[in-house]
Amino acid sequence: MAGKVKLGISLFSLTPLFVTRQWDLERCLKEVHEMGYEGIEVVAAQMVPNYPYPSDEWIQDFKGLLKKYELTLVTWSAYIDMGIRADRDLTEEEIIQYTRNDMIYAKKAGAQMVRTQHAISPKIYKRMLPFCKEIGVKLVIEMHSPHHPEVDVWKEYLEIMRDPASEGYFGVVPDFGIFQFTPHKIAIDSYLEGGCRKEALDKIIMEHESGRSLEEIINAGDYTEYEKGVIADIKHKFSAPAKVGDLAKLLSCTPYIHGKFHYLEKNCEDSTIPYGELMESIKNSGFEGYIACEYEGHRFDIDPKEQINRFAIMIDKMLK
Amino acid sequence: MAFELFNRILVSDEDITNITVEGIEIGYEFKLQYPSYRGTFLSCIEKLEIRIDNQLIETPRIGFYINGKEVLINELAELFREYWFITDFAVLRIYGEGLEIGTKHKVEVLLRHRIPYTGYFGNYMVEDAACTKVLNVI
Repeated sequence: MAGKVKLGISLFSLTPLFVTRQWDLERCLKEVHEMGYEGIEVVAAQMVPNYPYPSDEWIQDFKGLLKKYELTLVTWSAYIDMGIRADRDLTEEEIIQYTRNDMIYAKKAGAQMVRTQHAISPKIYKRMLPFCKEIGVKLVIEMHSPHHPEVDVWKEYLEIMRDPASEGYFGVVPDFGIFQFTPHKIAIDSYLEGGCRKEALDKIIMEHESGRSLEEIINAGDYTEYEKGVIADIKHKFSAPAKVGDLAKLLSCTPYIHGKFHYLEKNCEDSTIPYGELMESIKNSGFEGYIACEYEGHRFDIDPKEQINRFAIMIDKMLK
Repeated sequence: MAFELFNRILVSDEDITNITVEGIEIGYEFKLQYPSYRGTFLSCIEKLEIRIDNQLIETPRIGFYINGKEVLINELAELFREYWFITDFAVLRIYGEGLEIGTKHKVEVLLRHRIPYTGYFGNYMVEDAACTKVLNVI
């Protein structure tokens, strides 16, 4: 791996194998180590037994496995589960409690940072800073599609993150899904399985990529109601990707990157996210940290291992 | 995230077994897995319907056993501190008569669940997970 960019992986990438018990946590760690990954992210709500209060014994066992497979726990991934109560949303104090709890267990497990979600709110985020400093753990927020740096709440977050008072304890995790401009194979297969005609879908995608609006595409063809829904879905999801140039603006407060993808072809290339340009931007920036494979094309008939192996090859090639 | 992908794991492939206490048969049980990529709090389950051989089971007959405790379906909404880990099976206990060993039965489960981190635009995503399997009684 060139420079100081390191290859990491969110174990979320292995979801189909983990939830069907084909691979347990140790198998996940062993396999990603053998594929050359150096750092991991654990989605605590997914892979940590007795979450949100794992035992000290489990923590010790986990740390032993990390040592055994020469892996660094980079990120403990947390949610803002604001809707867990049936009668109301969580209060500000409850959100702080859950976030603090994740940070405590992340610290015990040796994680460098906790990834949270933008729903934490700028107000609560600022309130977490003293605890971040006290415990020595960064609290970072993922910028996930459909967000991008020009979204109002993100302008506010970025100002907080860039404030020298945060002393590097805050930061953004750009998820490369924000740069996705056209449907991936998994979505295309789903549209076709739903009844969209292939020739119609090819035409829709071509017109979407040429910049035509929803109305222009619908009016330019003889589409079924389902196909009109497909057009609306594509325009909704893929019409406002972040600009590649936005990444350079984020990197000064980026300690970690989510290399999101849904499907890589045999040539180890992604035709829906401009990885080549994004990796050039990273190389030129002097970014030092992990870019984590985050495979999300989960289907039980696609081998996640093959996909994450292709990701490692793609990133390695781009960083040389 | 396409949650419907995980519907197939909702009903475990493991067999149905009869429940006996000191040799007395008091019902039967089978296993459920939470149909998602991560675990959840039990309070996020908004509805749980069970049909055995097309017959709806009345909720007072159902015990939902997880984390060493059995709760009623109607209690789930209150259990916002009880977590259902993604690879842990919940045991669905149907109290009443047992089932004849060696027979097969159609098990249909509908689980409506709220995705608790999706409410930032005002409404939470609510998913209906449905799964039907034919299970053996052993």
